[in-house]
Amino acid sequence: MLETMAEESISNGFMMNPVSGSNPPGVAKKKRNLPGTPDPEAEVIALSPKTLMETNRFLCEICGKGFQRDQNLQLHRRGHNLPWKLKQRSTKEVRKRVYVCPEKTCVHHHPSRALGDLTGIKKHFYRKHGEKKWKCEKCEKRYAVQSDWKAHSKTCGTREYKCDCGTLFSRRDSFITHRAFCDALAEETARVNAASGMHSLAAAGNFNYQLMGNPLDFSTVFKPNISSSNDDAIDQTRRGFSLWMGQASQGQEIQQFGSLNPGSIYSDPLVSTTSNPPALDYQLNWVFGNMVSSGNADDHQVTTSVSLPVSNVKENRPQLVSVPSLFSTQHQSHQTPSFSMSATALLQKAAQIGATSTETSFLGSFGTKCSNSQDGNKYSDLYVSNIPTTTTANDISTLNRLQMYPTKRRRMQNEDGGGGGGETRDFLGVGIQAICQPSSINGWL
Amino acid sequence: MKLSSAKLSKESKGASPSHGGHHKKSLHSKRPSHCSVLPLRPVDQLEQWPSATVDMYNSDNNHHHHHCHQQQQQQAQTSHTSTSRSSDYLAGGRGDSGEASGAGDKWALRLLKECARAIFDKDSSKVHHLLWMLNELASPYGDCDQKLASYFLQALFCKATESGRRCFKTLTSVAEKSHSFDSARKLILKFQEVSPWTTFGHVAANGAILEALDGESKLHIIDISNTLCTQWPTLLEALATRNDDTPHLKLTVVITENIVRSVMKEISQRMEKFARLMGVPFEFNVISGPNHLGELTKEALGVLEDEAVTVNCIGALRRVSVEERASVIQMFRSLGPNVVTFVEEEADFSTTRHDFVKCFEECLKFYTSYFEMLQESFTATSNEKLMLERECSRSIVMVLACDDDQDNEGECERRERGTQWSERLNQAFSPVGFSDDVVDDVKALLKRYKAGWALAQPHQKETGLYLTWKEEPVVWVSAWKPLKHSQNYRN
Repeated sequence: MLETMAEESISNGFMMNPVSGSNPPGVAKKKRNLPGTPDPEAEVIALSPKTLMETNRFLCEICGKGFQRDQNLQLHRRGHNLPWKLKQRSTKEVRKRVYVCPEKTCVHHHPSRALGDLTGIKKHFYRKHGEKKWKCEKCEKRYAVQSDWKAHSKTCGTREYKCDCGTLFSRRDSFITHRAFCDALAEETARVNAASGMHSLAAAGNFNYQLMGNPLDFSTVFKPNISSSNDDAIDQTRRGFSLWMGQASQGQEIQQFGSLNPGSIYSDPLVSTTSNPPALDYQLNWVFGNMVSSGNADDHQVTTSVSLPVSNVKENRPQLVSVPSLFSTQHQSHQTPSFSMSATALLQKAAQIGATSTETSFLGSFGTKCSNSQDGNKYSDLYVSNIPTTTTANDISTLNRLQMYPTKRRRMQNEDGGGGGGETRDFLGVGIQAICQPSSINGWL
Repeated sequence: MKLSSAKLSKESKGASPSHGGHHKKSLHSKRPSHCSVLPLRPVDQLEQWPSATVDMYNSDNNHHHHHCHQQQQQQAQTSHTSTSRSSDYLAGGRGDSGEASGAGDKWALRLLKECARAIFDKDSSKVHHLLWMLNELASPYGDCDQKLASYFLQALFCKATESGRRCFKTLTSVAEKSHSFDSARKLILKFQEVSPWTTFGHVAANGAILEALDGESKLHIIDISNTLCTQWPTLLEALATRNDDTPHLKLTVVITENIVRSVMKEISQRMEKFARLMGVPFEFNVISGPNHLGELTKEALGVLEDEAVTVNCIGALRRVSVEERASVIQMFRSLGPNVVTFVEEEADFSTTRHDFVKCFEECLKFYTSYFEMLQESFTATSNEKLMLERECSRSIVMVLACDDDQDNEGECERRERGTQWSERLNQAFSPVGFSDDVVDDVKALLKRYKAGWALAQPHQKETGLYLTWKEEPVVWVSAWKPLKHSQNYRN
């Protein structure tokens, strides 16, 4: 499995990831572009399995020594004082060659998925369809290609895994299992959801600041954006995200989001693209769509908790997460009974927020100060208890869970824009239709 | 109360005809001493009893000067099929795990068996005496023999006084009170770190599941176990890294042990968090209602039409009452799974359930192996080891002292062997072999632990894999797919 990915990247002549197995767990594997997407103008060569497996096709007639390349044979022939001829690179434009796998069931059998070089197709053939003759002594792993085996043997058993809690592991599987249940994992979330509500609000606040740093753009937030391609939104936020990711590191606290622009407390230079608001809009709609459509408190027996996937850096979900809470708390503080607040009212608030650094008391509890315990408590209460007036109990937990995302994102430090696997799927499995739900969404628009 | 094993080995090297251990008696006993040097050997006391079983002892006496290993073989052979069956495909008979500490240290087994027989024979004075002796010698903090004596003594006492139900309830409530997420997590993770007892099944089952569901985009795993989801992090990681497309995973956990219920909330949070970390779209449900697995339905489990279902049973089948096992298996098949994985411990408390003495011996054999394994895997002063041993006490009481006729609130612990389970499963499923890759993974896993563990593949390759401890099979794992002519709920 992992070997396949590694070899395919090799065959494409570039390495996006180091050799398989060296990714620490806790980092989702980076999703590459599909390997074997060749130049359409290239010449397709189909070699037989026999040819592919032949090791030394060029034989010296004197001593029988075999060589993989004709050039090498020619050089060897010089040693026998035989006439030799080194082929010059032909002057005419050589058509690029791509190779297909002879195995009919293989993905790479079709010319559209041909691989770019001869060594690559050879290795692929061995790895996928060959016998695994080389075995690691330490861990029983088997390899079909000798160089893979050598590379593995060098690192096998030497790798150590360290959990956030400080424990070291020599075994990957026990590391993974430990990590899943480790308190360090829980602590990150606990800190975010802390009773004081400070940090989470700070995070929310910071995210918001960047979004609202630009009052002009903010107005576009409430523009109906449903029809716009979500891919667009994702692409834009992707960039923003990678910047953010680049600066955040594992286990860092909220302070990481500092380094504010001199001009505004609220803007976060990490997300410097101006394209966020439209993305935000999509996410806003999505979130509220979610909150409306979710709520599966059903069976007494079955307790369902839907967990939201945060599978790649591209998706801007963590950022969006904070937003609804912000707005919901905003609502609470202003005693608005539901989310269906008029757009103009919201805009007014936004203008208020974005305009000056002397915030309203609502804002004062947020963010960089993080010291207003009273307000903080108020908001933590809001998180827990006041929100039910507008949402179901399940939504609170959803909200709380949503809050976890910013933290989770920090952990995936190796991801710098790679991941995703091309999924533009909606977050909760909630279809786009849900976003267009009439009820509270329209209140925003 | 410590056994002076040093003294033991010295004494037993002599040609003395009597076997048994020389044990320090407790401070309170006032038995007359037969031997000038050492306190009374408990076995000598038995020889006073005019019962048929004394002959058994005398004949055993004659064999004392043989190697300890042979003694154990004798004992093993008395427990019907176990050794002979295992030697079909494994080398050698019973392991000689007790040998190192001297020839006489199987006193506990002997005494316990004596007592069991006495109870069965309703020889109350003998029972009384043996129980008293065991009580003197037993301790849950001593060595293996003392521990076994302690826990089995409890079961024997309950059997003799017909207080099994009550004892079980007490033990359960005590356990529930001391049970917390932290303690449970610590316990299970530590156990998995020092012993492949549980991880063996996890690795094999995960391998089978991943291969059977490869390419599916919506997975639904129904986990009927009490493993606190420790099986799933590695599966989640594999799902995340295996392919470009990570499937959606829905995990429905069915709790069969009441104690586990309280910690599932915490577990569910952790699992969701971890799945997010891995980048796997994840949904988690817990079902802890039904006392009888047979009552489960597709609807109750939340099985949807477009999902690729797999049922994963770890130590779950043995908790089904023997009469209901066939129908539970049919229920599994009715869910339309792609693959079903089972992990069970190798012991037969099922066919022997009407024969107290045989069942007792089988039970004793199994737990002796288990306790010895714990002893060698953990450090001497490990708290986790102690807790694991205590957890056995409930099972032992349940099997030996609780009548199956009574409704034990859905608790039952009648284990069966892999071959027996296979017979049952063949009614609804056909076996799926483990691929070479999975076997390699398992072998690699075992390499990471201390010596003594091995993988055994039975001759008919399909009926699962066995984990062996000192060449005795202890855990069985297998994978199955529904029989073809069954009504297919998918497609």
